[in-house]
Amino acid sequence: MATTETQIENPGRARILERLRTALRETTPRPPGAEGRKIFAPVTDVLARFQQECAANITECIVTQDLRSSARAVADVLASLPPGEIFVQDSPALRRLAPEWQTARSIQWSSEGGPKESAQATITTAEALVALTGSVLVSASCGGRGASVVAPVHIVVATADQLVPDLEAAFALMRERNTAFQNSYVCLITGSSRTADIEKILVMGAHGPIRLIVLLAMRPE
Amino acid sequence: MNNAAHEFLRSAAEKSADLTHRQIIRRGIDSYNTANERGRSRFLDWEAARLRCQEIKWEAVNSLDRYLLEFEQRVKDRGGHVFWAENSAEARKYITDLATARGVRKIVKSKSMVSEEIHLGPALEKLGIKVVETDLGEYIVQLREETPYHIVTPAMHLNRTQIAALFKEKLGDVDTDDPQQLVAAARRALRRDFFSAEMGISGANFLVADAGMIALTTNEGNGRLCTSVPPIHVVLSGIEKVIPRLQDLATLWPVLATAGTGQPITCYSTLAGGPRQPNEMDGPEEFHVVLVDNGRSELLANVEEREVLHCIRCGACINACPVFRTVGGHSYGTTYMGPIGSVLTPRLRGLNEFQHLSYASSLCGACSDVCPVKINLHHHLLHNRRDAVDASDRPWSERMGFAVWRWAVGDARRFRAVGWLARLGMRVMQRLHLDGTLLDPARPWNRNHATAPAPAKSFRALWGNQNGNN
Repeated sequence: MATTETQIENPGRARILERLRTALRETTPRPPGAEGRKIFAPVTDVLARFQQECAANITECIVTQDLRSSARAVADVLASLPPGEIFVQDSPALRRLAPEWQTARSIQWSSEGGPKESAQATITTAEALVALTGSVLVSASCGGRGASVVAPVHIVVATADQLVPDLEAAFALMRERNTAFQNSYVCLITGSSRTADIEKILVMGAHGPIRLIVLLAMRPE
Repeated sequence: MNNAAHEFLRSAAEKSADLTHRQIIRRGIDSYNTANERGRSRFLDWEAARLRCQEIKWEAVNSLDRYLLEFEQRVKDRGGHVFWAENSAEARKYITDLATARGVRKIVKSKSMVSEEIHLGPALEKLGIKVVETDLGEYIVQLREETPYHIVTPAMHLNRTQIAALFKEKLGDVDTDDPQQLVAAARRALRRDFFSAEMGISGANFLVADAGMIALTTNEGNGRLCTSVPPIHVVLSGIEKVIPRLQDLATLWPVLATAGTGQPITCYSTLAGGPRQPNEMDGPEEFHVVLVDNGRSELLANVEEREVLHCIRCGACINACPVFRTVGGHSYGTTYMGPIGSVLTPRLRGLNEFQHLSYASSLCGACSDVCPVKINLHHHLLHNRRDAVDASDRPWSERMGFAVWRWAVGDARRFRAVGWLARLGMRVMQRLHLDGTLLDPARPWNRNHATAPAPAKSFRALWGNQNGNN
C-alpha cells in the first residue's frame, strides 16, 4: 500500500544535509583507537563456552548426539507444556523431524502465516550460535519475526557446526551469506525475556518467551 | 533566575532531604555498580573497547552526511521510507499525519528518548490516539503520568510497594507486591495492546549504514513485538545514531549492555530494516524512519562540542554522578538527565535558559571516567559555563565578586589585605552568630552547612611558620 503512494515532501532533508556538510568542513583529530589491542579473550573451546554462557544467561542448552535425539528431546519438552498448538518454522529439516515428535498437538507451519498469540511453543532453526555470549542468531528466514518472541517457549533446533566463537565471526558469517540483505529482520537472542525494572530484581518472561531451549546436535544429521 | 533554574533548585533541595528517595536510588545504583563491575571484568581490555567505540562514533559523526545517505538508500531499497525532520514540530507532524491517514487508533511504543524530546505522546493523544508505552519501566511511569526518571531505568525512583499500589488502582486484576506477579500482570495487559495496535513506534540504538537497518536492544522483548506485530513500524531516531558498519556492533552491543546494565549483551539485540519482504511470512506492511535533527547539526558545527554527539545513551554517567544520586532524575526537568543531560540540554534547548544545569556538577569527572565512548563530559560542562557567561547577563553580585577576586589576586599585597578582611568578617559574623543569616555574604553556603571556625592566620602565614620550623 505505502510503497506506491506519492513521495511526501521533505524540504528539511536538503537543509539538514547542507548544514551537516557545512559543519563538517572543519575537521576534528581522529582519536587513537584500539589498534592491535584485543578486546575479548579469544574463545578456544566453542562448545564448552557456549554451554557455560547459556547456563549464565538462563538458556536451557541440551546437547544431543544427532537431530533424531533432538527430536526426542522436543517431544519431552512438548509433553511438559499446557495443551495448545505449536508453531514450527517450515524448513526441510524440521519437516523431516516432525514425525519423530509424535505429538498430538496441532502444528501450525510458518508457511501458513505468523504464529498465533495462543501458541504454546515455537520451534525454529538458527542462523548461527555465538559462543562468546551464549547467543542464538535468528533472521526472518527462521520462521519469521514473531517465531522467536510470541510464544512462552522458544525451542531452537541447531547443530554444533553452527557454533561460531564470537560476534566478529557471526557478523563475518552474515556478510558471507548476505543475511542482512536477504532479510528485513535479524535478532541476536541471548537468554529468555526478562526485566529488572522493579527494584532491579530480575524477573523472567516479561514480554517474550519465559523459556529459551537450544537443542544442540553434535552431528548435523 | 529563570523558571527552569528556579524549579531545579526547589526540587533539588526537596529531593536531597527525602530519605526514602535517597534509599531507593542508592539501592538501585549499588546493584548497578555490582553488575557493571562484573560485566567489565568479562572484557580482556575494557579500555580498548572504549577506544574502539570512540573511534567508531568519531568516524560516523565526522562523515555524518555520507553515512546517513547510505543508510537511507538501503532502507529505501527494501521499500522503507525515510523522513528528515529539522525540528520537533516536523517530526511530530510526520507521525501524526501518518497515523491519521492510516486511521490508527492505538499505538504501542518501545522506549524512545527522542519521542520524549519531541513530545510525541501528547500530540498523538490530542488526536484521540491511544499511546501505550510497553517497556515495563516506561509503562509504570506512564500510568503515573510522569516522565522517565532515568533514560535506562525509567521507574528507578519507585519501590515495589508503590508499583503494587499503582497496578492495583490502574489494572485492577492484581493485588500483590511480588515483582514476578506484577510483571505477569503487565504482560497480560500489554499483550492485548500489542495484538490490537495498528502502529508500533520504536527508537533506535544505532542506525547501521552499510546494512540499512536499525539496531534496537531490549531485554523484555517489547521492542521485538512493537516492530513485528503491528502493520506499521515507525522508527524515531536522532541523526547522530548512525554507525558505519554492521561489524561495529561486535564491540558496540556488548559495550552498550555492560555500560547500561552490566549485562554481557542485551537479551534481544535486534536489527530491522524494512517492511515485510515478499519472501517473508510476517512483519509490518510499512516501515518509516524519522531522522531528527532538532539542534544536533548545530552541535556538529561546534568543533569543540562535536564529540557530545558520540553519546550512545547508556546512562553510565547518570549512575556515576553524585549530583544525580542526590537530586534525582526528575529535578532536572529535562528529557536527558545527569551529566549528559546537563551537557546536552543547554546546547539543544538554549544556553541561557538551561545554564544552571552546567553547574549541577561537582566537576569530579566520574562521568568522563565511565563514559564508554570517552566523552570528556565534565570539560563540556565547563565549556557550557564559559559560553553561558559570555552569552548572558549574570547577576551583579556574581560579577562584583569576580571583579574583586580579579583585583585581589593580581597583587600579593592586595591578596593579603583581602584575606585579612575576609577572616575579620568571618570572625565578626561568628561572634555575633550571624553566619548563615540574611546579613551573611556567604549565606548560600552557610545556611546549609555548619560553619568552620574562622582561621586565626592566613595560609601564607602558616606556610611560612612551617617552613621556618623545618
